[in-house]
Amino acid sequence: MFTRFHFFQASVFIVLTLLGLGLFQTQVVRGSYYYELSKRNRIRLIPLEAPRGRVFDQKERLLAANRSSYNVIAIPEDITPEAYPRLAKLLEIPEREVRRRMSAGREYPFAPAVIMEDIPQELAFQIEERRPELPGVSVRVEGVRYYPYGETASHVIGYIGTINRRESEDMDHDRFGANSKIGRAGIERAFDDSLRGWRGGQQIEVDARGQMVRVLSDRKPEAGSDIMLTLDLEFQKKIMDLIKGLHASIAVLDLETDGLLAMASAPAYDPNIFVSPSASEQRLQVLKDENSPMLDRGINAAYPPGSIFKLVTALAGLDLGKITPETRFRCTGSFQLTPKSKPARCWLHEGHGNLNLYEAIERSCNVYFFNVAKRLTPDEIAHYAHELGLGEPLKLEISRMAPGLIPDSAWKKARFNQPWYQGETLNMAIGQGYMLVTPFEILRLTSIIAKNGKVVEPHLIVQDRTFMPETPRVAIREENLDVIKRAMLQVVESDYGTGQLARVDFDKLAGKTGTAQAPPLQAHSWMTGFFPYKDPKIAFVVFVEHGGSGGITSARLVKQMLEMWKDLHAPPVT
Amino acid sequence: MLRRLLNGIHFPLFFSVVALAAIGILFIYSASYRDPGDYEVKQVFWILVGLAVLVGVPFIGYRPFLSVSYPFYVLTIILLVLVDFFGSKVLGAQRWLMLGPIAIQPSEFAKVGALLAGVNFLGSHHPWEGQTKTVSIALLLLAIPLFLIIKQPDLGTALLFIPMSVVILFLWGVRKRFLVACFSALALAAPLAWGFLKAYQKKRLMVFLNPNLDPLGSGYTALQSKIAVGSGGFWGKGYLGGTQTQLHFVPEHHTDFIFCVIGEELGFLGSLLVLCLYGFLFHSIFLVMQHTTDVKAKMLCGGVLALLFSHVMINIGMTIGLMPIAGVPLPLISYGGSSFIMTCICLGLVLSVYKERSIF
Repeated sequence: MFTRFHFFQASVFIVLTLLGLGLFQTQVVRGSYYYELSKRNRIRLIPLEAPRGRVFDQKERLLAANRSSYNVIAIPEDITPEAYPRLAKLLEIPEREVRRRMSAGREYPFAPAVIMEDIPQELAFQIEERRPELPGVSVRVEGVRYYPYGETASHVIGYIGTINRRESEDMDHDRFGANSKIGRAGIERAFDDSLRGWRGGQQIEVDARGQMVRVLSDRKPEAGSDIMLTLDLEFQKKIMDLIKGLHASIAVLDLETDGLLAMASAPAYDPNIFVSPSASEQRLQVLKDENSPMLDRGINAAYPPGSIFKLVTALAGLDLGKITPETRFRCTGSFQLTPKSKPARCWLHEGHGNLNLYEAIERSCNVYFFNVAKRLTPDEIAHYAHELGLGEPLKLEISRMAPGLIPDSAWKKARFNQPWYQGETLNMAIGQGYMLVTPFEILRLTSIIAKNGKVVEPHLIVQDRTFMPETPRVAIREENLDVIKRAMLQVVESDYGTGQLARVDFDKLAGKTGTAQAPPLQAHSWMTGFFPYKDPKIAFVVFVEHGGSGGITSARLVKQMLEMWKDLHAPPVT
Repeated sequence: MLRRLLNGIHFPLFFSVVALAAIGILFIYSASYRDPGDYEVKQVFWILVGLAVLVGVPFIGYRPFLSVSYPFYVLTIILLVLVDFFGSKVLGAQRWLMLGPIAIQPSEFAKVGALLAGVNFLGSHHPWEGQTKTVSIALLLLAIPLFLIIKQPDLGTALLFIPMSVVILFLWGVRKRFLVACFSALALAAPLAWGFLKAYQKKRLMVFLNPNLDPLGSGYTALQSKIAVGSGGFWGKGYLGGTQTQLHFVPEHHTDFIFCVIGEELGFLGSLLVLCLYGFLFHSIFLVMQHTTDVKAKMLCGGVLALLFSHVMINIGMTIGLMPIAGVPLPLISYGGSSFIMTCICLGLVLSVYKERSIF
């Protein structure tokens, strides 16, 4: 009887026989074919890196591109001992170094090792000519990243670097090889996945001397996608020139698209030095530089906002009904919380006299805001700060840092295990004390005010605006935002205004200056604003580290910046 | 004493184990004598331990193994879960668990754990009563470790689970329609399992289906191992004379790809010899199966056979492009202590079935 047992037994032996037939087919029928392949034993795999996607500005000007580079590669298994000294002499490096690079980590046997990248063309030709004496060595033309405008937008674009061993093990090998480049900062890092294409490669047959005979199979690499930024290269360049030599950052936002027209931080660095292996000296210099050129002062550094924060204090007072625009306080140059407490001073020692809210913002009177602070709790102020985006993470594509710090009573308790003192509310109301913000948070704050409370998230990548969802609004009454806008207009246009140096003759500007104490050094200089006052087109923030008075240093920069913008963007006057 | 020890040993089976292990040592040496590591010496040690296990297990008998199968099963599941959390990563897969100086591979134990538990459970239920319930529970029992192993991900071991499960269910007497249902369920689950696979595994499978897809990455290994085996021709290039494997064209040539060395150096004759030895081993297990009336013993032997058989199929099949590339060792030949000893435990169970055979 044919039982299940027999069925099982028969299946096992039938399949085993089939396996035997498979071996017969491979070893006997096709044996000589494979024998030929193995005798020549000469199949090599050459990976081909995909060209990285390019980065353009809004007018399709190249910000990051690829140029061709001659790289010397060698297949260690094919190289003969005499070739080492010859190659070392040609490349002008010690023989020891050639050997070291030859034995660096590789993906698989017979994979080429990179001996030297980006050699001069004449040298490449020389090596090609002498190939018969250099078995296993060849020169390959590959794309290498280059940034035509150097420092101009270095913090935005970022740079690339070679991946390390550990990273390469975890990655998809169709996309990353042992020597692949990966974005290390900025757009290059944030959009590495789309900029990076898919690696290709060639299976080639070589002769006994390691020279290619023919290509057996070929897979073309797929280039990465290009990216278009909202930046305007011309404007960006001019702004970089404007802040050259300072420790400063300027960002200008197009209020129609919420895209950044310019985003500059100084000092900057030349991203090309991270690409070229010969620039290690410069790399080290940049990394060790005390002026931290690698730091993007716009998004990755936080400072006290100073008087700019008075806008938030004012909005909190107005929106909670604690003050009206016509509420008046007298400034005598100093202020005491209680008769016993230490007097807090206004920056104008002789006092501003009797002021309403408009005048207080226009002249940036501290005492007025001390009085407002007396009517508010720190948590109320903090609530409005968060509502306006301060201390909230940015959704900017390249932003990586945790946001600044908006202190409140719970924070103080957790941080110092101490209650909040009312004197600290005074400091908070004028943007001093524990508070820290990044210039970009201020830019977002100003943009929200300029757009009457619509939430704004600055971005860098050109977006398809047809599917934009309805933007939410902040929970602040529009009439109160109007009051602030009018006050900001007065800051520039009134003859008492702290920002009058920024005034331009072609339209009306609204802004707010800030001078944040940073003892023992000079104060940080701030100015933010939107332009034109009616129907605003741009919002901006200007920040100069230890730049002194906001109304002087930053306001002057704002004026120049607006004139540049007008030249490039304002519709011609008809 | 020795007589007592060897009394009741099924000699053909014992002989095939020794012969395969000897081939193993020869070719582990051939594959690795240029590299440091002295793998063949270490393997001799493992073989001695393994043979002791092989002879020792029949003394315990297979029934105690079955009676502790549930706790053992639970233990292997715990190990599999632990490896998910604490396992060390080798080539992107979480497979090894370090217990002090010893690295264990829980998926090796899980195979045996699931086999014993499945056999014990099915053997304790009659196939004619409440089959739906019994089969469902048995399937669940087998699916839990399978799921955890796929998750590691250890595709090779997971592939071994399926024939083993099918065979024990089949020998137990599952209705044909259940088998059909199981295969359909498997086919439906395949797209789900696809999601669990790592990129490199997906690629291996895709490349298996279409080798021209990736001539570089996994296609390269597939091609090189095929060249190695094929270039051996009928007679082979002679012991230690392989060029493909000696020059490291084929990776892992002392473990998973050891058959490349054999195929290249001994040619078709050598391959046939290895296949015949395996055939002889399987035949011996069939003989043992015929001599037992215990359903559990029969299923146990069948499961062991299915496990070994699928190891051989996948391992040799992948070197000649009949199977996708998966990290499955060639039983008794590949270098590795865990694999050798687990195989010996399994075969020891078969020997104990023989020892306790019914005398008609």
